[in-house]
Parts: sequence; C-alpha cells; structure tokens
Amino acid sequence: MTDIALQTRGLGVKYGNFHALSEVDLQIRRNSVHSIIGPNGAGKTTLFHALTGRVRPSSGRIELDGRDITDTSDDDRVRLGIARSFQVTSLFPNLTLRENLRLAAQGRTPWQALAPWRRAEANAEALDIADGVIDRLALGKVTGRLAGELSHGQQRRLEVGMAMAARPRVILLDEPTSGMGIDDIEVMKDLIRDLGHDHTVLFIEHNMSIVMNISDVVTVMRLGRKLVEGPPAQVRDDPEVQRAYLGNMITGDIA
Amino acid sequence: MNPLDKPFAQLALVLVTVLALPLFLKSGILATEILIFAMVVAACNLLLGYTGLLSFGQGIFFGIGTYVAGIFLTRWSVPVPLVLAGAAILGAATATLVGWLSIRRQGVYFVMLTLAFSQLFYFMAYTFSGVTGGDNGLLGVPRPAIGGNALDGPWSYYTYVAVCFVVIFALLVMVTQSTFGRTLLAIRENEGRAAAIGFPTKLFKIEAFAISGAVTALGGALHAMLIGVAPLSNIEYHTSELILIMTIIGGSSSLFGSVLGAGFYLLLADALSTIWPRWLLLLGLVLVAVALFLQGGLWGLVVRGYDLIFRRDRAPNTSAEEH
Repeated sequence: MTDIALQTRGLGVKYGNFHALSEVDLQIRRNSVHSIIGPNGAGKTTLFHALTGRVRPSSGRIELDGRDITDTSDDDRVRLGIARSFQVTSLFPNLTLRENLRLAAQGRTPWQALAPWRRAEANAEALDIADGVIDRLALGKVTGRLAGELSHGQQRRLEVGMAMAARPRVILLDEPTSGMGIDDIEVMKDLIRDLGHDHTVLFIEHNMSIVMNISDVVTVMRLGRKLVEGPPAQVRDDPEVQRAYLGNMITGDIA
Repeated sequence: MNPLDKPFAQLALVLVTVLALPLFLKSGILATEILIFAMVVAACNLLLGYTGLLSFGQGIFFGIGTYVAGIFLTRWSVPVPLVLAGAAILGAATATLVGWLSIRRQGVYFVMLTLAFSQLFYFMAYTFSGVTGGDNGLLGVPRPAIGGNALDGPWSYYTYVAVCFVVIFALLVMVTQSTFGRTLLAIRENEGRAAAIGFPTKLFKIEAFAISGAVTALGGALHAMLIGVAPLSNIEYHTSELILIMTIIGGSSSLFGSVLGAGFYLLLADALSTIWPRWLLLLGLVLVAVALFLQGGLWGLVVRGYDLIFRRDRAPNTSAEEH
C-alpha cells in the first residue's frame, strides 16, 4: 500500500474542441483532507466527473491505490471505493430519507438487488449503515420524511450522507456548503473534518474559511490547469493565487 | 403510504375482483378478457410506473405469446403448461433484446425505438405467413383440458385464467416489493444518482423489460386460447397502444390500478359499442378527461376517496413536526 490514495497523471478532458482540463497531476494522500479551489470554469467539477467515471478523460491516467482505473466504469468505481456528492443536490425526492441512504448503501453490492424475490429488509447491513449515517448527520428526527420535503440544509447533509453510505475510501464532495445558511455551514465544516479521520476527502469549496481551516492540502485550479498546490497558509499568500482571484475572494482567516 | 398500497391489501383486492366478476357479469368471455388484460397491463405498469419507461413494444410480447400458443397447440398438441412456460420464456427473451437495444436512448428516442420494433415485429408476422397464418391468423386454438375435459365453458376457462392471474399478480407484487423493485423506483426518480451510487441501471431496466415481456406473452397465450384464434391483430401496434391506454387510465402508482384500468376500459367499450358504433370517439373523450383531471388515474381517485372517508384527520398535518 502506498501513501497515495488517488492520483492522476497528465489528466485531460475535452468537450468537443474545448479543453476543460489539461495535464492535471494530482496526488491525494490517504486520510487527508484535500481541497480544490479556483474561479468558476476552472474545471473543478469536470475533474470530479473524470475521477468518478462520469466523463471519459481524453488523455492521462487515474490511479486508485496504485491501480489504473482510467477505463473503469462509474458504477465499478463505487465498488472500488470512490463515492461522491453533487454540487446541485441530486436525491430521490419521492423516497424517504432512510430509503435514500439504504439505496446508497446497497449500491456497493448491486448484484444482490437484481434478485426480484429478495426483500430489501433482508439486507440488514445496508439498513445498519443507513442508520449509522443518519446518526452521524444528526437527521434522526426526519428519517421517514420524503427527501424532497427536507429543508435545504438537511438535503445538503443527506447529499453528503449518500456518499458516506457507500463506505468509500475516497470521498469526493462537490461544494458541500452551496446555498447553506451560516449555522448549517458550521455543522458541515465539522462533518468534513470528522470524515477526514477515516476517509480520504477531496472537496471543492468556495467558502475560504472552511478551506483554510480544515484542509491539509489546497490545490488551486484555473482554466483547466493546476495553478498552485500546498498547505493552506502557503497557498493563501501565493502572489499567483492572489492574481487569479483578483485579490478579493480569499477572505477567510485561519482561526 | 396509503394502506391500500400495501402488498396484502393489493392481493386482497385482486381476490375480491376475481370472485366478484362472475357475480356481476353475464359474459364469461368478457370477464376472462378482463383478467388477461389486467395481467398484461400490470406488466406494462412495471415498466411505466415503476421504472419510468413508456414502452410501445408491449404488443410485440403479447403477439409472441399468442403465436406460441397458436403454433404449438394447433400443430403439435404440446401440453398447455409447457406452452405457457414457453410463451413466457420467449416473451422474456424478446423483451430482453428489444429492451437492450431501446434503453440505449432516452426519452423520445426510447419511445421511438420501441415503436419501431413494434412495427418491425408486426411486418415480420405479416410476412412469414407460413408460420403465423398472416392475415388469417392461426385458427382452431384449443382450450386447455383438466382431467380429460376441455375447459370449453366460458366460466370453467375463467377459473383457469383466474388461478393464473392471481399467481402472476402475487409474483408481480413480490417483484415490486423486493430490493429489485425498490431500485427500479430509484432509477425512475433519478437515474444519474442511481448510477452514481453504484447501480448498473441498464441491467435493471433490461430485467424489468424481461419480466414484463414474460408476463405479457403469457397473457397473449391465454388470450389465444380464449378466442380460439391466434390473430395478426394481437401483434399489431394497436395492441401496444391499447395496453398503454389501460395502464394510464388505471393509474401507474399501484399494480391494482392496472386491474381497474383494464376492467374499466373493457367494460366501457362493451357498454358503449352496443349503444353506438362510433364508440371509440366517446372513449377518446374519456381519455381526454383522465389526462386533464385525473392524473393519478382511477387508482388516484380510489386513494383520494379512501383518504377522504377514513383518514380525514391525518391527511393535512403530515409535515408539521420539526423543521
């Protein structure tokens, strides 16, 4: 086992003639919290799409624990230990919160679910995992509520929970705090920090106070390329980063 | 969840239906036809209601079951249970092929593909008249026999079909309640997310097609034995349309809705056609009314009525606790 959980070499993604991502070399250390920042259109979400297998890279390779997964399909990657949450909340709105998490836990062993005679409740492990995630997210009071009827903050937490329920080794969170109120943001910050103890966390975030406080490593992207990478303090003071952000977006202080 | 949607409530409703039809209907043929279509429509509901797939290909599987019964019963006198099993297997195989090719596209293009397959199979049946009898169909399809006596009376064959229907319906309820059925709901709700959490969604859709095709073909075989003919019209595009219309009228949120849809359509058609030869026009108006005012179908109406009578106090405050 190497110390690197996930790495890319020369990763590039093209949409038609547009290079959304070019020559990205990333190394994500095991059980670290690694954040990706950058202005809109920097290729952050495209990078996530490539890492999870939703889009096919046009060049380069992706390795999970030293194993080449560049050509592995998205659902196979879940079984290998990569799970993600989405920037735009993407749940099963007409199913209950608990059913959403049960499905996410079942997704790790989907072949079982192909048997039309097997009862969903027969998979006690998936139910336990769902309940464990519910506890960790403090959503115990609304387990029977339809996901579409939850408040925005609850939906964002469930969105992260969906990734957790797959028991991934590497968890990718795409702007977990987007649209959240101040109170909810604090809860999410603690949750991400906590996830870093037993997962490798890679997350995209615009809220600099979160990024600067809980990241071990920050990667700054711009125009589909890696601009700077390093510990939070170093990245914050980097002149190139200041220029990329026109000096006004990095406002959060290190507490 | 409404108590009427629970599996045992659905099964109870089906048993009541099977026992009540002979009490209220004079024609055993009509009653049998209702059960056959109820089965076929429930299979269509598995695709439309549970998986979110609007398939115009159901007539293909129905027609295939019809021809399996026609060919094996008139030419080789194969025992009926074997013929039914054969129809289900061939129906499942065809549905797997059609499903496998059609689900490569989504939305309108998926619907167009199933429609194209529907036409393709119709013209194949029309062209290979040596096998299918072409325009004339296959005549003289016999009824099954129990203990040496053919079930020639309308109500004796009704009993045979009723047993098949209850078993198939129970199996379909089991499928929808299983972890497979619940994954189908997830795929209907949000296919992208279902794939992102690890489900090979295409495989699930193909399996839904296969199950739907098997049941539909079984219904087609029973239908051929009912009318004594394996007609070309059973594989026509019109049959696909009929099955879809019944599914939508009945409501796609519950399997028993399909029984209501099939019963309502066939009874209405029977009543209207004796009044006016242009009865299809009136049926068109009924469809317009359902599409405009009754989007949950007949089942939606039943559930609303039930809530109104038994759960008046519980309905409004479902979302009042904790924010």
